[in-house]
This record gives sequence, structure tokens and C-alpha cells, in this order.
Amino acid sequence: MKEMANANAELIQPEDYSKSPSGWRVLWRELVRDKVALVSLLFLGLIIVVVYGVSLFLDQKEVVKVDLFALYQPPSADFWLGTDYGGRDVFGQLIIGARNSITIGVVVTLLAGLIGLVVGLVAGYFGGHVDNGIMRVVDFFIILPFTMIVIIFVTIVPKYNIIQFCLIMTSFLWMSKARLIRSKTLQERELEYVQASRTLGSSNLRIMVMEVLPNLTSIIIVSMTLSLAGNIGLESGLSFLGFGFPESTPSLGTLVGYARNPQTLESRWWIWLPASLLILAMMLSINNVGQALKRATDARQRKG
Amino acid sequence: MIPQIFILSIVLFLMAKAMPGDALTGLIDPSLDPDALAAMREKLGLNNPWYVQYWDWISNAAQGDLGNSFKYKMPVTELISQRVSNTLWLALATLILTYLIAIPLGIISGRYNDTFFDRIISGYTYIGFAMPLFIFGLLMLWFFGFYLGWFPTGGSVNPRATEGVGYVLSKIYHLLLPALSMALIGVVSTVQYLRNEIIDTKQKDFIITARAKGASESRVYNRHIFRNSLLPIAAFLGFEITGLIGGTVFIESIFAYPGMGQLFIQSIVGRDFSVVIAVALLFGIASIVGALISDIILNIVDPRIRIK
Amino acid sequence: MSILEIKDLKVHYPIRGGIFRTVVDHVRAVDGVNMTIEAGQTYGLVGESGSGKTTMGRAVIGLNHISSGSIKFEGKEIGHIKGRSRFGRDIQMIFQDPYSSLNPKKRVGDIIAEPLRNFEKLSPQEEKKRVHELLEQVGLSPESFLKYPYQFSGGQRQRIGIARAIALRPKLIIADEPVSALDVSVQAQVLNFMREIQRELNLTFLFISHDLGIIRHMCDKIGIMYKGRYVEEGTANDIFESPQHIYTKRLIAAIPDIDPSHREQQVEFRRSVQEEYKEAHRRYFDENGLVYPLKPVSDTHFVALPQKG
Repeated sequence: MKEMANANAELIQPEDYSKSPSGWRVLWRELVRDKVALVSLLFLGLIIVVVYGVSLFLDQKEVVKVDLFALYQPPSADFWLGTDYGGRDVFGQLIIGARNSITIGVVVTLLAGLIGLVVGLVAGYFGGHVDNGIMRVVDFFIILPFTMIVIIFVTIVPKYNIIQFCLIMTSFLWMSKARLIRSKTLQERELEYVQASRTLGSSNLRIMVMEVLPNLTSIIIVSMTLSLAGNIGLESGLSFLGFGFPESTPSLGTLVGYARNPQTLESRWWIWLPASLLILAMMLSINNVGQALKRATDARQRKG
Repeated sequence: MIPQIFILSIVLFLMAKAMPGDALTGLIDPSLDPDALAAMREKLGLNNPWYVQYWDWISNAAQGDLGNSFKYKMPVTELISQRVSNTLWLALATLILTYLIAIPLGIISGRYNDTFFDRIISGYTYIGFAMPLFIFGLLMLWFFGFYLGWFPTGGSVNPRATEGVGYVLSKIYHLLLPALSMALIGVVSTVQYLRNEIIDTKQKDFIITARAKGASESRVYNRHIFRNSLLPIAAFLGFEITGLIGGTVFIESIFAYPGMGQLFIQSIVGRDFSVVIAVALLFGIASIVGALISDIILNIVDPRIRIK
Repeated sequence: MSILEIKDLKVHYPIRGGIFRTVVDHVRAVDGVNMTIEAGQTYGLVGESGSGKTTMGRAVIGLNHISSGSIKFEGKEIGHIKGRSRFGRDIQMIFQDPYSSLNPKKRVGDIIAEPLRNFEKLSPQEEKKRVHELLEQVGLSPESFLKYPYQFSGGQRQRIGIARAIALRPKLIIADEPVSALDVSVQAQVLNFMREIQRELNLTFLFISHDLGIIRHMCDKIGIMYKGRYVEEGTANDIFESPQHIYTKRLIAAIPDIDPSHREQQVEFRRSVQEEYKEAHRRYFDENGLVYPLKPVSDTHFVALPQKG
């Protein structure tokens, strides 16, 4: 037996199919190869550095203080992007608003992703009645018009801070994640490695976390990236309609929302246009990165 | 479907209960003394347990009585019926424009993939996918409404046009820009879907067989590929409704278009909660019905999917 | 004493239908099967797809529920114990598909160490040593430890699967079509290797296959299944030298013979079996197309002969 095994060891060398790329490395490699995505990523990095860096030197209270002597100033050396109807510096609001919007977008995406992951994994892995029960609830809420329900919710809650606002948004956003994860888990569950783990004595929790989850990471990363863009858009949209934060806590949507005043829209572009363009640029960049990641997970579309 | 609407109505009712104030808060003369107020509450059943109140509300709603708007001092049903046709026309125009734009673009993009036109169309869908509707709406209004002055910047009809052809034309004129704004963003997913479908179908064995039989290129596309790719799009019609509802809330506020979405926002701001709940209920029912319609169409189109 | 004893095992799945999703009928995947496996033997379970052979194997290890009947492992009932105890360390499984049965995101070292981590408290060094021993035992190089499954060929992957299955030194291994996904050229290599391992570790195999040629090569005792029931059971000699049931005869006639000088003979043989099958078909199967209960022909040989005899 020993001799035979040794002879075999010489005979059967694992075929070396070049270096083995792990999930993360493939994603990173694809991202760097995709010029558009790489530029988008650098641009996003720049925005984040500028926004979070500059906002360190800005005092939110100072920025949102009403100054009646400087209403609707066009851009000047003092006010780089002019002032709004309260004489508040638009540039300062833009930076702080971007910081708030990005923070909310990231927190909501992470929270919704986490809840969706847990629920979807449990529903998909156990299947049967557990799955039926969970998916019935999820399907019901997914059909409903999200914007309206959140608006009503925001009105009910009398006062909220950033965290509570994130929780409100999350409570309606985890469901689509749960649905995605569940369908992928259902597919994975049918593969023999899951059954093999059970025969090897691994517990359900261990199989879910150690076996199934690693096979879902790339999908989770892609889907979270794409929904980060969506969530920043949603938060801006809600603030735009006036159901985000009060004006003392600026958001990009608040600035765009000033354009609901026709005169502002028509003749005071400096108030709403920069915020609009910033939202658009960020969403476009995040989507570019997300699409590149998506291509990376689909071997047929890889660049090499 | 019925249980879904039932649950929706309970959820909305409880939300309404949780909102600050009740049906009397806005109605009553502030000089009224607290005792009379309490008596009035008792008489209106506002002290009953919630399920009794819910039952009163839902049985009235089923008969078309959704309560009164304290802001407009009129029955909610009447208020809504003034607005609902505007939103219906807007939704219809959006749907028509969406399909008029999306189907040709999707077909061109899929049939001639990786050509110059396909790149242009794909670039457009890329940007459209990232563009939030409210920003696009604002830009459209700013550019076509204010800068070029081609379209009206608010309202649903010219007040001077009261009847006949002029009235209809004015209506169409007013809803064109909002509908176009929603449609141009709404087409993105359909174009992308159609493009991918056509490119996928092109390489399927039955298409190769059709070509091998000697079918002309146009016949291959018209009889084999499009039939396969367009049917699912018909089925998504119902799901579009949820998207449209979200869209009208934004678009109607931006274009000052007096429809249900604008009514919803105005009522929320004005704390007119009987209106808020009624609008939300109607929109919710519309979404649920839309999903059901999609399920049914899918079921007809694709025999592999059956309603369980 | 026999290592595994199965009595009247039934695995039924409900078919739901109608508006209220009530149970209208059952799929009888396994429908009353008895089986005894002696320690150190290889028991072959043969049948066409859908015959219930895989369901049997999976029921023994606990991947499928049991509708009724008993499964005794070393005299202890394991059939109805809920939870993990049914997949004890004494019974392990080798899976059919060497591609999907290894988690693509785990390194080979972690894959083989998984059962050790679940059942044995080893220090990291001990664990590593044990995994290296196992790698050597199945004839894979030590460098395999850090590699991912996709860097291996099908035969090598199946060796990884075997290393994982023997890591806990089990007594019984259920091998569910272990080579049917492999190239024919690799099949013999893996099969011979499995016999080596069996001798080395004194294993008992429940060997599930649709390939009678492989079964003949591997097994001491053979059971033939058809639509969830046993058609014939006996030693390899009983089955291959004196098949009694018409279904068995037909299966054996279908084994390919690569010697061209026998071709004429083989064709003639197949024709005669086919004719007999046509003639006798109604006698051997009941009105539902199922076979009759087993009757003893000799001490070791049981056949599902018609009631009338």
C-alpha cells in the first residue's frame, strides 16, 4: 500500500492550471483591467477623500446658519457656489450633504445586505415551510410602492436621527436582497458538497456559514455595489420631496429639492445643479464599478 | 390577492392610527371645550378598540366612503376622482411612450449588437440606469420647459381651453413632458432586457435550425426571435405599475401636475391623513392587481409557469 | 454479525395536487426492501435510474427521511433517531459527482479536515499531519494541501472525496456511483484504488451503480432493484452465473463484450433473452408493472418469482 501510494504520488501531480484566483482576486483583477471602472473607482475615491476631508473643516451649524444679507447670491469668491434662499453657502451644504448622503447610503446598504443575507440564507437553506413563510412576507412587501410606504413611515416617526432614518429605509430594503440570496442558496443547496458536509457531521449553521456563504460572496459584493448607487438615489429622492432630514441637516437631495421652487429651477442653477450632477456622477461611477464586478463574476464576460 | 389587500388595509390603517392627530384635530373649532370634544370623539367611535374602528373604516371604504378631507372639506372619494383621471392619463401616456421607444431600441441593439448604434443605445441605457428619475425630470423641465420654453411648466390643462379638441390637445400637451421624462428612464430596463434576450436567442439551436432550413433573415427575426423575446415584456406590464406609482409621486411634484402622486405629497405635508391613507390604499391595490396581471399573462405566455 | 441490517425499508414521497394541495398519492422510491451487509464485504446495489438505489443509500446515511422500516447498524437502530446522530462517524459516503461534491471555495486541506474538525479535537499541527497522511494514502502529493479543487482532474477529485470519507476511519462507506462521472480510462484506476483502501482499512462498502460490469468487478453480494423493490439478490456468482429473474437476465445480456470473436454469439444470446423477456414479461410483473416479493432459491439467492411459482 505504502509503495503504491508513493508511486501514485509521483504519478498524479495536480495539474497546474496557472495560479488559482480566489474570488476577491478575480474581482480586483477585472476591475483594474476595465479602464472605465478603474477611472470610476478613482473618481469615487477622490470624492470620498474630498467630501470627508473638507467636511472636517466645516462647521455644520455655521454652514446652515441663515444670513439674511446674502440671499440668493450667485457664485463668487466668498461663496464658491453661491447661496440659497436663507443666504447659506451652497458649497458647504454640498460637501456636508454629500457626506450625509454617502454615509446613509453605505449604512443602509450594509444593513439591508446583512439582514437580507441572513434571512435569504435561512429561507433558502432550510426550504419548505420556513422558506414559504418568509417568502410570502417578502413577496407581499416587494409589490407595494416603496416610496409611499417609506414616506408614510417617516411621517409617523416624529423625530429621527441619521441612524433611525437608516433603519426606516433598511426595513423596506432588505427584502430584495433576501430574495436574491435565497434563490442563490436554493441553487447551492442542491449541489453535492452541501450534502457531503452533512454526512461529514457539520451542523446546519456551520454549513450555511462555512460552506454556502463563501460561494455567495461575489454575488453579494456585486449586488451590494449596485444597490449602494440605488440607495444614495433613494435617500436623495426622499430628501428631495422633503421627507429626509430637516434643512439643518443638509443632504444632496435637499439641495436638489430647492429646485421645486420654479424660480430657483429657472434662474438659480448654482443651488440645485451641482448637487444633481454630483448625485449623477456618483451613481454612474458606482454603477460602472458594479457592472465591472458583475462581468467579473460571469466567466463568459471576463476580459481575461 | 384578496388576503394581500386585506393585510395592506390593516397595515395602512394602523399606520394612520399611529400618525399624530385624528380625524377631529383639523376639523374642530379650537374654542370648543375639551368635554364637548371628548363627547364628539365618543360619538364618532374614536374611543373604540382599533379593530372595531378598522371594521367601520373598511366597510365604509368598500362602499366607496373613504371619509372626509379636512383640508379640502370634501369627501375623499370626490377629491380622488378629480385627480385620478389625470394620473391614469399620465400613466397610460408613459406606458405607450415607454414601449414605443424601448422596443425599437432593444431590437436594434440586440439584432445589430456591437455596431455603432448598439454602442450609442447601450451608452444611453448605462446613463439612464444611473440617473435618478427626479433629477432627470428636473433637467427635462429646466431645459425644455424653461430654457427652450417648448412645454408648459405646470398644470394638467390650459385653464382657457375648456372643451372640444382644444381641451384634449391641451391635456396631451401638458402631460407630454412628464410622461416623456418617466418613459425615457423607464425604457432602460426593457431595452437592456430585450437586447440580452435577442442576443441570447440568436445563438439558440432552434434559430440555427431555422437558418439552416433557409428561412430569410427577416423571417428568422420576425417569426422566431422576436416572438420569443417580446412575450415576456408583455408580461412585465403589470409590474410596471409599481414603478409608475413611485414615478408619479416624483414627476407630479416636479411638473406641478395635479394627479394622485401630487395629492399624496400635498396631503402628507398638510397632515390630511384620511386622504393619505386612501391614496396609499388605492396605489397599493393597483400594485397588487398589477402583479396579479403579470402573473396571469406570464401564465398564458409561458406554459411552464403555473399559478400554484 | 452483520454490520448493516435493513428491514422492510420504505421511503415514500407525497404527491400533492388539487386546489388544496392535499396528498393525492405517493411516489414509492423505496418500497419494502430488506438488506443485510456483512462486515468487510462489498454489497452492490444495481438498478436503472429511478429504481430507488440512490434513495436507499441516502436513507442509510440520513440524507433522506424514512417512511417506515428499520435500519440497524451493528445491531443498533439508526433509522428513527433524529438529527445528527444518523450521520455518525462510522458511516461515510463517496458522492457521484466529483465536481459538485467538493466545495469550490475551499482548499483541499480544509475539505479533508472538515470531518476531523467536527468529530475530533485535534491541535492544528496534529490535524495538518493527519491530512497529509490522508493525502499520501490516496496518492496525492503534499502540495495538494493548499490547492483548490478545480486544479485537479476528475479522478484526483474523487480521491480527495475518498480521503475525506476515510478521514474518520469509518466502518461502512456508501459509494454512490463513485466512478460514473469519470472517464472510462480513470474508472478502473479509482476502482482498484478503492479495493486497496478497503483491504487496508477493513472497510465495508455499499456500492451503488448502474453498471453491472463494475459491480461484477467490485462486489461480493449483489441486489438488483426495479421500481423501488428488489428483483433478485444473491452472491456475485448467483447473479452472474444463474440469474433467475427475466429482468436480471436482460441486464446481464446487456453487458458489453469487447472481444469481437464473440460478437455473433453475443447477438444471438441477446436476441434469445429479448424473446424470453417479451414472452415471460406478464408472468414476472404484476398488473402495476412491479415485481413480486422475494422467494429463496438457495441459501444466498433470492428472486422475485411469480406467486404461482
